[in-house]
Amino acid sequence: MILEPIVPTVLSVRRLPGADPALIAAYGGDPARHSALGLVTCDQDDALYVALDEATKHAAVDVIFARSFYAGSAHASGRLSGEILGVLAAAEPQAVEHGLAALLGCLAHDACFYDADGKRTVTVFPHVIASLGEYLSRESGLLPGTAMAYLVAPPIEATIGLDAALKAADVRAVRVVPPPTETNFACAWLTGSLDACEAAALAYAAAVVDVALTPRR
Amino acid sequence: MSRTRQLMAALREALGAADPLPPAPALPPVPPPPARVYSPRPERSAFAAEAARHTTALLGIGHVGTRYATDVVLQFQAELAVAHAAVGAELPDGWAEAQGFVGLTTRVTSHREFLLRPDLGRRLSDASLDAVRSRCTRGADVQLIVADGLSAVACAQTGKQLHDAVAAACRARGLSVGTPVAARFARVWLEDEIGQETGARVAMILLGERPGLGTGDGLSAYVVYEPRIGKTDGDRNMISNIHARGTPPDEAGARLAALAAAMIEQRISGVTLDLGRLGEVAGGRGYRAPQVRQRLVNA
Repeated sequence: MILEPIVPTVLSVRRLPGADPALIAAYGGDPARHSALGLVTCDQDDALYVALDEATKHAAVDVIFARSFYAGSAHASGRLSGEILGVLAAAEPQAVEHGLAALLGCLAHDACFYDADGKRTVTVFPHVIASLGEYLSRESGLLPGTAMAYLVAPPIEATIGLDAALKAADVRAVRVVPPPTETNFACAWLTGSLDACEAAALAYAAAVVDVALTPRR
Repeated sequence: MSRTRQLMAALREALGAADPLPPAPALPPVPPPPARVYSPRPERSAFAAEAARHTTALLGIGHVGTRYATDVVLQFQAELAVAHAAVGAELPDGWAEAQGFVGLTTRVTSHREFLLRPDLGRRLSDASLDAVRSRCTRGADVQLIVADGLSAVACAQTGKQLHDAVAAACRARGLSVGTPVAARFARVWLEDEIGQETGARVAMILLGERPGLGTGDGLSAYVVYEPRIGKTDGDRNMISNIHARGTPPDEAGARLAALAAAMIEQRISGVTLDLGRLGEVAGGRGYRAPQVRQRLVNA
């Protein structure tokens, strides 16, 4: 079914209320400020990146670690690995708990890939973030609170889609990651007004669907 | 519903897909706000009510849930403001002379310096030292010093009254009283230098005490036998809370005179002074008249 949401599957959620400082430091945290961790694996990496950013808007948590796994969830190292491991860190377990609640809510109701060809052999992630949180604003170099279109698709679909998105609205490319990435998708972050970001995401999704349905033209 | 999902549903319709999407997962239930409303609960303990009658401390004030009632909080803040104002007050220029005292100053030059440098408030300025040497009688039994201390408000209100009460009570006991002096920006230990310079047998400083909640107008009296620079707090005896709701000035005057007489009789002061016979003076020990807390706020 074209453009049906593919709700991400949360494969594991674990808490470490008092993680070892060496572990926190190795995963990019600051042992002086962080002691409690929340760890999540999920079968959609980009949905979890957005959800981790959402968590920073709801609780005093930092995203200290978020990495995609090579070749994606179809080639995962284990039943619980999925496509990504994300780590939230905070000074106290209660903050991690609030952050995880926001993160899981975002995964269940907001951020997800969409079926682009009706057979789920091509998927697209045309997500609009109305207001950036602390994590993605740091990653993108934009100010917290700006709007951003987070666009992901397979290589050729992403290339055609990005061209369509940039031409569809008054948006600026913040970061373009051409293929191959860890998961062999291609990614683009565009910014502009919220309306412009929505128009760009729509154009991107429409172009990806078009390429998926008519790959030769 | 998420904005991105709305956009994609609209795009899906625009592309001609007619079959309905599967229903979105249900949103988690929103917990209702707490239904319990707290109303003020007055203190029901008879013991607390009785104890509260004998102190101005915040006893028997009840509670609202786990917190104070609003009127208690407002009263607390108002009393704190009274205390702040008392610390910030200064004795007016010429107050000492207007009351018939010899006016003295310490080595402090400003009110801020007075609060930050207790050591300067314990020694006389050079001009005041000359004034003490030239204008004060020497060798009196009791040298009285009125001072602002940490509450000029208290000093200006009842300092003169307390001084007169103490002086009269001392004379009634046959003790001679030195020339009355009043010091500005003074700390307790200033009595050591003034007493040493006047050669008094007992020095007694009556000064505004560090304000607490509801007591911006309290005076304290510190008494020392054979005052010399270098005497410690272990050599002193004192009476605090001299104000209308604590020990009234007239009653305090009788007690202080008895204290000074005991020092001269025993030739000692401080922790080794035998206070056993002082209880007979002015109401005896162990009894305190019921007190009424002054309401500053009506909530």
